[in-house]
Amino acid sequence: MSERYKNRIELLQGTLDLLILQTLLWGPQHGYGVSQAIRANSGDLLQVDAGSLYPALHRLEKQKWIGADWKISENKQEVKVYRLTAAGRKQLMKERSRWEQISDAIGGVLNPAK
Amino acid sequence: MKLWWLWRKRERELEKEIQHHLQMAAKERRERGASARDAAAGARREFGNVELVKEVARDAWGWRWLENLYEDLRYGLRVLRQSPAFTLAAVLAIALGVGINVGIFSVLNGVALRLLPIPHAEQVVSVNQVLHGRFSREVHGEGGLVSYPEYLDYRDHNGVFSGLAAYEPFVEVTLAGSRMEQLYGALTTCNFFDVLNEHPAQGRGFTDSDCTAPGANPVVVVSDDLWRRNFRADPALLGKTILLNQTSYTVIGIAPRAFSGTEMLPTAFWVPITMQKALDAGEDYLAADNLSWLAMLGRVRPGVSRKQVRADLSVIAGRIDRRYPGRTTSLVISTATFFGRPDEREVLVPVTSVILTAFGLVLLIACANVSNLLLARASVRHKEMALRLSIGASRWRLVRQLLTESLLLSLAGGALGSLLAFWSFASITRLVASALPREVSALTVNVAPDIQVLAYALALTMVTGIAFGLIPALKSSRLDLNTALKGDSAQFSSGKKSGRFVRNSLVGAQVAVCMVLLLAAGLLLRGLNRAQTVDPGFDMKNVVVALLNLKIQGYDETRATAYVRGLQESVAGLPGVTDIAQAESAPLSHDRSGGDFFVPGRDERLGIGYNRVTPEYLSVVGIPIVRGRGFGQDDWRGASSVIVTESTARRLWPGEDPLGKTLRQSGVGEYSVIGVAKDAQVSQLGEPDTTFLYFPAGPRDNLRTYMLVRFSGGSTPIAKGIRDAMQSLDPNMLVDVGKLEDYLEVWRAPSRIASVLAGSLGGLALLLASIGVYGMASYSVSRSVREIGIRMALGANPAEVMRLVLRRAMWPVLLGGLIGVAGCAAVSWVLSSLLFGLGAHDPIAFISVPMFLLMVALVASYIPARRAMRVEPVVALRYE
Repeated sequence: MSERYKNRIELLQGTLDLLILQTLLWGPQHGYGVSQAIRANSGDLLQVDAGSLYPALHRLEKQKWIGADWKISENKQEVKVYRLTAAGRKQLMKERSRWEQISDAIGGVLNPAK
Repeated sequence: MKLWWLWRKRERELEKEIQHHLQMAAKERRERGASARDAAAGARREFGNVELVKEVARDAWGWRWLENLYEDLRYGLRVLRQSPAFTLAAVLAIALGVGINVGIFSVLNGVALRLLPIPHAEQVVSVNQVLHGRFSREVHGEGGLVSYPEYLDYRDHNGVFSGLAAYEPFVEVTLAGSRMEQLYGALTTCNFFDVLNEHPAQGRGFTDSDCTAPGANPVVVVSDDLWRRNFRADPALLGKTILLNQTSYTVIGIAPRAFSGTEMLPTAFWVPITMQKALDAGEDYLAADNLSWLAMLGRVRPGVSRKQVRADLSVIAGRIDRRYPGRTTSLVISTATFFGRPDEREVLVPVTSVILTAFGLVLLIACANVSNLLLARASVRHKEMALRLSIGASRWRLVRQLLTESLLLSLAGGALGSLLAFWSFASITRLVASALPREVSALTVNVAPDIQVLAYALALTMVTGIAFGLIPALKSSRLDLNTALKGDSAQFSSGKKSGRFVRNSLVGAQVAVCMVLLLAAGLLLRGLNRAQTVDPGFDMKNVVVALLNLKIQGYDETRATAYVRGLQESVAGLPGVTDIAQAESAPLSHDRSGGDFFVPGRDERLGIGYNRVTPEYLSVVGIPIVRGRGFGQDDWRGASSVIVTESTARRLWPGEDPLGKTLRQSGVGEYSVIGVAKDAQVSQLGEPDTTFLYFPAGPRDNLRTYMLVRFSGGSTPIAKGIRDAMQSLDPNMLVDVGKLEDYLEVWRAPSRIASVLAGSLGGLALLLASIGVYGMASYSVSRSVREIGIRMALGANPAEVMRLVLRRAMWPVLLGGLIGVAGCAAVSWVLSSLLFGLGAHDPIAFISVPMFLLMVALVASYIPARRAMRVEPVVALRYE
């Protein structure tokens, strides 16, 4: 039954990781904050559902590209806050350049050189 | 456990994180004006399936297997609880199989693997020489031991030990006291206790000042056991003197209770090696350069590897080799255990492998039984399996689930069996030890479980679980979903050929293994019977034997000769005594001498056993001279006459007249053959064809001699008469008098132990295998009730039905039995040393045992077959 979700994660994987890393570049965030930031910065176009977000966050954490700390929020709750690590920063650069390549390539195909 | 804790922590964190997300989302919705309830519901809706998100997130951490395992365990426990009868049967079968294996392993562990009970025993190694090439060497004990000068070389020139000690393991000594007592002690170098780091509980150990000069240091450290047993734990024993072999020694220390020496047989006392000449009664070993008599134990310096030890000592060994042209020494260096010297291992390894195999076979039968139970149960559970497969479980997942159940079963059985083994094998070992010959019955084996035993038990249990669980798991997870779900249970089990094939093979294998064990037991019993009836080639009836060990009681040659002469006179006067003889060793007494002999002019050297005897000996034990003459009064020790046995004559001078031929002993002298004696089994029961020589005895042999007295009438008054005569000549004399026949007992003991062992294993195997046959037969009857019903409705009579059922049940039995017989015939030679000349393919055993097994199997399948015969056709057709 988990197949449905897995497919969607795989579909988004590279991009979602890129988006998360990019979001965390501005500063530490908790999971909900990450999803809201992605949503706001894309003009409500990209909505990351929780079923993709949390597995992605945990996967990135396991790969040590992001770190996690527990902090106390203003309403006295323990909150897991993610931050970008040095390795994550490097990974972000890599993913960005890869994304730009793909984007250029697709752009080139869509608008052949005049 | 730590893993579990980590997992729980992560679960809690995940939960908290998701809750936070939901709260934030709800809060935002509320801020946008939704009601509290709508906001919460909306947030939840947007989030999706919380459990699913958790599961995928968990996947990211790779925790999935742990969770599956937890589920499998919970489910498995529930399933096993649901069928308590099955669970109990399986657990008991496994407990039995694993229990006996763990038990026997804990004995072997105590004998051969357990480290010495000393501090940092893992640092202590035993160093042994293995000599190759052409050389001659005197051996006192084992060939791997070293001489004192060799020891000094190793001690002084090595750079790898913090200390190297040497000791003579078994010195037979008489302790004088209220009664004379024979003890085994050790002669040790004075660093012995320091190297072992084992210091006396009271008093002190040896120091260098105790090893100053030969004969100068009569001090002794006694064992705790000796102190308690012989001196009633006298606290004032320290500083007193005790008499060992007529020399007085001052007690300077009492060993701790837990330290009984470094040998299998407990050591009663330790004496400095410089006292060797006094303790060994006259012979000077310390100066002998080419004599094997000392065992070496070295404590390896921290950080030095075994490889370095070997390299370092090999250099020294090479230097020693240069003193003996033709000799090459290789070293065997092993962590010191009670039974670890190469000569001891040589005995141990073959025996151990046979024993472990036999015990393993019983476990195998038990596994087959549980396998069959699981297979039978699989036919009941196939609907459950089909259901799980159809809602998307993978086959691998089901196999894992079923294997988890098997492992649960085997863990329960293994734990129960191991507990029983730990609890019972200590007493079983004592029982077995008490059945051993007197000399070794004091042997102590620590069978208490240690880490090695526990590891073995766990490994065996896991392997067992997989062994009996794998085939059923693979089979029952492969289903035809369609028919299985429709509920036609008959098709799964009895209709399909492959299901029956697997179960039949299991039963066949059980019978085969059982056959091997029973045949072995049968052969051993026949061997035992033979040992009781065998004709050793000499007449052992009506002979009483007295061992006169005068040397260790302080006698010299003159006094010994006078004593023996006096004893002979008074024994000859006893009523009923017809003849008296003396010999260096009594026949079959395990007291043996031998040497290297060759015929001058020939290259071949032969190790031949011999005995030094008085002229009357051959007639007293009833060995006839077939050619030439026996010894006369002119033949004395040192004379050049020798009597050879027929086999020896055949071996050395085939087709020639042996009389007058010359035989030479390496480094000793030349002899000419004066007579040929009939072959007799004097050194090895059951082996008449060994070569053997007789030399004349002389006054020197009186220091330690067997007196053999032939008599007519009852043995008791003669034995008493000899005892009295011995003590009237010397009240302190240690008396050892018995019947010559009793020496046979020593030979029978190992074969009796082996046959009891094989018999009980065979019995267990038979029990398990007949349960297997019975289970198989009754299962197949219950599965084919409908078929039987149809046959009977169509007019088959009960006898035919019975035949059908029996035929089906007996096929695998017959086939397995045949394989078992063939298998046993192929390996039964390993038992030949216990069969006393009985062929390893003894027809009586090989016919009667299979017949017996077949009978049992027939009975086991007859009971269910009778049930089938009583099937009511109408009931059967409505069945299911």
